[in-house]
Amino acid sequence: MHEYSIALEVWGSVAAAAREHGGGRVRSIRLEVGVLNLIEDEQLSFWVVALAERDGSPGVELEIVQVPGRVKCRGCGAEGELRVPQGTLPYFAMGAVRCAECGSGEVDVVGGRDLKVVTAEIETEGRNGRGE
Amino acid sequence: MRLFETTDTGSVEIEIGEDLQARLEELAERNRQLFAERGIRAFDITGSVGAGKTSLIAGMVERLSGKHGVAVIAGDVATTHDAERVAGKGARKVLQINTGGMCHLDASLVARALGQLPESGIDVLFIENVGNLICPSFFSLGAEKRIAVVSASEGSHVIEKHPAMFESADVVVLNKMDIAEAVNVDMEQPVADLEKVRPGIPVVKTNCRTGEGVDDVLLALELG
Repeated sequence: MHEYSIALEVWGSVAAAAREHGGGRVRSIRLEVGVLNLIEDEQLSFWVVALAERDGSPGVELEIVQVPGRVKCRGCGAEGELRVPQGTLPYFAMGAVRCAECGSGEVDVVGGRDLKVVTAEIETEGRNGRGE
Repeated sequence: MRLFETTDTGSVEIEIGEDLQARLEELAERNRQLFAERGIRAFDITGSVGAGKTSLIAGMVERLSGKHGVAVIAGDVATTHDAERVAGKGARKVLQINTGGMCHLDASLVARALGQLPESGIDVLFIENVGNLICPSFFSLGAEKRIAVVSASEGSHVIEKHPAMFESADVVVLNKMDIAEAVNVDMEQPVADLEKVRPGIPVVKTNCRTGEGVDDVLLALELG
């Protein structure tokens, strides 16, 4: 959902960083994407790669680190990772989640909505190891 | 802070640390501040296509415009139908945002539209989001409250099917109660589902066509 507009943001951020560091080709990008965002990794990759190719960084590799959902119980304060049955998208389990400690259904989401551009690897052709 | 790590392969790894969610939150927060500065109480109305968002807003505008300076921002992919329906109900200004294909409003679109509202004389703003129960959930507009409108003809499992929307809502309106029987839908199911996932959330039953229940929505929003 919205993979294209997110890809625009991601690539914009990386391209700006690349320009600041010599403007070389971007080799790889690492993203952190929370599973509660309902973002389809393959679609997101497709668009980031397409934008990168358009802007002179063909074949960029995307590493997407999935960040698990995390919930905090409003009842007893217990906090932990959201665990869902195999094959269920965490987003859709939100309505049925129960605190593992006290069984309450009232939980707040405290993690799993991340959308971060963490690092990027940029070529330094013609530069020494210190980026000079 | 950008750190360099050199590799032997003719490249450098740069720490970018760009938090896109934080950026979205910042945009919403900026709107919150803008509204506060201008003394505007803003409300985000969401719901499926045809749920009754525009009817609800028209009814609220009609009831409030005697005592308040009300403005409406209507968001849609295309057409100005929604804005046209609300115009003439007493709002000081009605603006249509055509999102050009985007399936939800976001804080930056709303901020831009704010620039077209009168500098003063507006103390209540209704923002009608694009008809969609999924995408708007992920984009806070910085409004005081979000009202999610659900109608009887959407079936009885709408709440369960759209967890993020009802988690982000502050008030839920169950509209078209008058046709629930005709479409064979048990409207106590959404009431029960909401009580399970959002205990205590105000739920108001309405028939926005006749105006039944709209006063209760205003009460729930603390608008009078």
